[in-house]
Amino acid sequence: MPVVELPEATDGQLIVRIAGGDRRAFDELYGRYARAVLGLALRRLGDRGRAEDATQEAFVAIWRSARTYDPTRGRGGAWLYAVARNAITDGLRRTPEPVGELVDGPGREPDPADEAESSWSAWRVHRALEVLPSHERPVIELAYWKGLSQSEIADRLQIPLGTVKTRTRSALSRLADALDGELR
Amino acid sequence: MPDFDDLVGSDLDPAERARLERVHELLVAAGPPPEPPAVVLPFRSRRRRRGALLAVAAALAVAAFAIGAAVGNHSAGRSVDFVVSMNGTASAPSASASLTVYELDSAGNWPMRMDVAGLAPRSGRRPFELWLTRNGRLAALCGSFVTNTGGTANVPLNAPYRFDEYDGWVVVEEGTKTPLLATSI
Repeated sequence: MPVVELPEATDGQLIVRIAGGDRRAFDELYGRYARAVLGLALRRLGDRGRAEDATQEAFVAIWRSARTYDPTRGRGGAWLYAVARNAITDGLRRTPEPVGELVDGPGREPDPADEAESSWSAWRVHRALEVLPSHERPVIELAYWKGLSQSEIADRLQIPLGTVKTRTRSALSRLADALDGELR
Repeated sequence: MPDFDDLVGSDLDPAERARLERVHELLVAAGPPPEPPAVVLPFRSRRRRRGALLAVAAALAVAAFAIGAAVGNHSAGRSVDFVVSMNGTASAPSASASLTVYELDSAGNWPMRMDVAGLAPRSGRRPFELWLTRNGRLAALCGSFVTNTGGTANVPLNAPYRFDEYDGWVVVEEGTKTPLLATSI
């Protein structure tokens, strides 16, 4: 009998299942979003330890707030972003970062609107990376964040240069599809 | 930043090229995603009572758990209520752990932090799990974690339970019931 592959549940479907107390759905969502939430917390807090605590609180908030998700009002990814961002902000208020020395001069803080846009963009990209198959993800990571050339990636992964190029194109195309779909 | 032309070559359809270049720009702007926390949190919707913490403290003392008496200590703005030492069992004699339990948070959970040593990943490399026990049985999952190749881990965990319903903690490998670490009774 042929194996039928079930379509992957959307984020929104997982949130609805979590609202019903489905622990497996929560684990699935955690796998998809752990990096994105931690990345958001790191951008906001800067410190890994505080960011991990904030990430934990964000997932607690997601679990507790799942019943408030209304699929007719927007996609799951956007709802998750809002809940996580609010939880991280609340955590920041409860445990403000230690006060350091004040530095005179022009403010170094980014414009809030720009910061919000870049955080949202990074959130979507980090979430989209989770859709890449295991053989494509390393070529992206090595090219973009390790600074390796295509030839160096081929050496590192011990695959032909042509395969690196094929996988890179395929991965970028897959990411484009995921981002075009605005992370259902 | 990688050169986009080097990545995709020059033989792409212009529309496809523009589509991929947009992704390229987003990747560069986003930066690398962080490694995720090792913990997957379990939750229950039931609310806990603050008084339960006193009950478990008493129960732990009666059971001669090694309580570090760190009351008044603080971490990340939280007060530490007590610290429980865990020892390796015959299945992991070199292992040890310290479980710091913080005050009940506003969401009704007891945040915890666990320091583990001497617990190298097993051959299957499955995560480890921290459980509350009752009458010698695994009763409530407090979270899972992985250790590095040196056998250490420092992980945040969460106990959304009433402690007075349980009588100890154990660590097992996921999918097994053999304690590797246990509170000493």
